[in-house]
Amino acid sequence: MNLKKLTGALALSAVVASSLVAADTVKIGVQAPITGKYANEGQSIENFVKLIADEKNAAGGLLGKQIEVITCDDEAKAQKAAVCAKKLVNAGVIAVIGSYTSGATEAAQTTYYRNKVLQTSDGTSDSLIKRKYWTFFRNSFPNSSQSDFTAEYMVNDKKYKNIVVLSDYSSYSAGLGDATEASVKALGGNVVFRGKIKSGTQNFTAMLTKVKAMKPDVIYYSGYYTDGGLLRAQQQQLQINADFVGGDSNDNPDFYKLAGKAAEGTVLINFPTPEILPYEVAKKYLAAYKETFKMNPPSIWPVTNADGLRAVIEGIEKTNSFDTKKISDYIRNDMKDFPGITGPFNIRADGERVGAKFVVYKMKNDGTKNVVSE
Amino acid sequence: MDIFLQQLINGLTIGSLYALVALGYTMVYGVMKLINFAHGDLVAFSAYVGLTIFTQFYGSNALNLVNIVIVFSLTAIVVAFVGVLLERLAYRPLRTAPRLSAVVSALGASLVIQNGIMLIWGPNMEIFPADVFPATSWNFGGVIISFTQLVILVLSAVLMIALYIFINKTKMGTAIRATAIDQDAAKLMGINVNRIIVIIFVVGSMLGAIGGLFIGIYYRGLTFDMGWLYGLNAFIAAIIGGIGSIPGAMLGGLLLGLFNAMIAGYISTEWAETFTFILLIVILILRPTGLLGEKTAEKV
Repeated sequence: MNLKKLTGALALSAVVASSLVAADTVKIGVQAPITGKYANEGQSIENFVKLIADEKNAAGGLLGKQIEVITCDDEAKAQKAAVCAKKLVNAGVIAVIGSYTSGATEAAQTTYYRNKVLQTSDGTSDSLIKRKYWTFFRNSFPNSSQSDFTAEYMVNDKKYKNIVVLSDYSSYSAGLGDATEASVKALGGNVVFRGKIKSGTQNFTAMLTKVKAMKPDVIYYSGYYTDGGLLRAQQQQLQINADFVGGDSNDNPDFYKLAGKAAEGTVLINFPTPEILPYEVAKKYLAAYKETFKMNPPSIWPVTNADGLRAVIEGIEKTNSFDTKKISDYIRNDMKDFPGITGPFNIRADGERVGAKFVVYKMKNDGTKNVVSE
Repeated sequence: MDIFLQQLINGLTIGSLYALVALGYTMVYGVMKLINFAHGDLVAFSAYVGLTIFTQFYGSNALNLVNIVIVFSLTAIVVAFVGVLLERLAYRPLRTAPRLSAVVSALGASLVIQNGIMLIWGPNMEIFPADVFPATSWNFGGVIISFTQLVILVLSAVLMIALYIFINKTKMGTAIRATAIDQDAAKLMGINVNRIIVIIFVVGSMLGAIGGLFIGIYYRGLTFDMGWLYGLNAFIAAIIGGIGSIPGAMLGGLLLGLFNAMIAGYISTEWAETFTFILLIVILILRPTGLLGEKTAEKV
């Protein structure tokens, strides 16, 4: 063991010792995909939660108690999510941040509700709200707000005639795809094809060849970047002369790497990315994140989760209690325009975040993108 | 018509990849009567090894034929070494044990390789650079064929023909066929069965390595559990063609790729996988030994 490791070990044992001394802690859970396909999103959620907890702890903690963060890796899988929920409840958390995917969030919801544990997720599937659990509130915006914005862009701004809507089978992606199809039709747009791909199968040429015959003006894809980048690359390889519009989960640096040169001209619909968030509080936290972890968050999602945690902290401080029912009531009814990193943070009585704001980006193949409209 | 031809090209490309991988299953089964379930993970491993060698030596740009040949050869050698190691550690000690033990060992080896990949390269997706092969493509009256597809089709065909000649026209090939028919009799004829098995694993792993590299270059995104996807499809291809039969694996691979593309293109993408299994069941009912499998009387 060299000196560096030794001092590291000493520092670690000092931390452990000090946390044993300050036994009176309040536990916050993180349920996120720390490994698996969406690992970089999940790890960043955990990073952000730790960053905010550390900041709070350094300033004396929460109502005098130190925050202890407990993470459970759900690998973005429903079964693992259910196990995580039980694990975190048994560990005695009062609130859980996550998960990244709607499917994993939904699988854990009931357990948290039964145990009166608060849960906040960036999952955008509309179904997350349908059970009306008082324990759950969303820290991003629902699919339906995104689909309305997307349909407006495709039908009224770009005036596309033949629209193809693709998704995968996940509850988030299929939900967003269905919502977009409905929104497009509501505006009088023409959906020539609505298809689903199996995430991770890599070979989408058969479906794309079928789509090619329909002479689409645009292919809209509501799934994740791991498949979206490949779809875009294979679209170009088959010389399908159509625009490509991606839903929010395509917004990840790996999209460019997978799509290669084909990334050029791809349009993305998402929240404003972390770098261009105009708020003071955003600048402060993103700078702190970069300094601590030597990189930027991969997307907006870890940032909306950070806002979820900040709202919980605000609720605890304003109600001066760890009673989750009181905190939930405060967040839903009394909190107005809480200054979130991702903009004003308001939660409706059913747990929905309101006041959606989206941006249209155009990608360049060097990995940068610019805002084309708001 | 151009849509049909395009689906044909799509199907043949993925079919060639299945065939390359299926050969590894079928050769091992032919000689050892063992399903090497770890073969698919070895294919995934080869894609990662190829990517690492590629990025180590060439960063991103400098690409020419010599580089490509070096990357492919080095990958094939590394993977062949791991394949032989696999045989030595997981299968040889169980060669006289009941078949079930070897199957369990194969499944265990599959997990070891898969988790090994995760430990070495991490759980996140690794991505092949976009410009390993030039992005050129040709348009024949609406039918597009890319440079990468062409390389995959041609090189797979060349490798398969070479393998066919090796098995049928050389002395070593004769020894392999003899061992496949009866190991004990082959031993009595002075064939070193251990050596034959090592050769089978070297050849099978190398073909799998080329297949894995092609998968990496063509689809780019690598995940540690991707071996399952290609392993399963190649295994089905080997069964369809008649497991144990080398031309069967080639035919089965190509047929499966074509069948998938046509179902996805003309019936439904959602049901393509289901139809694969329906095809498998139909073939097993009509021809239990597969399309080119030989009917042999089972010794009881």
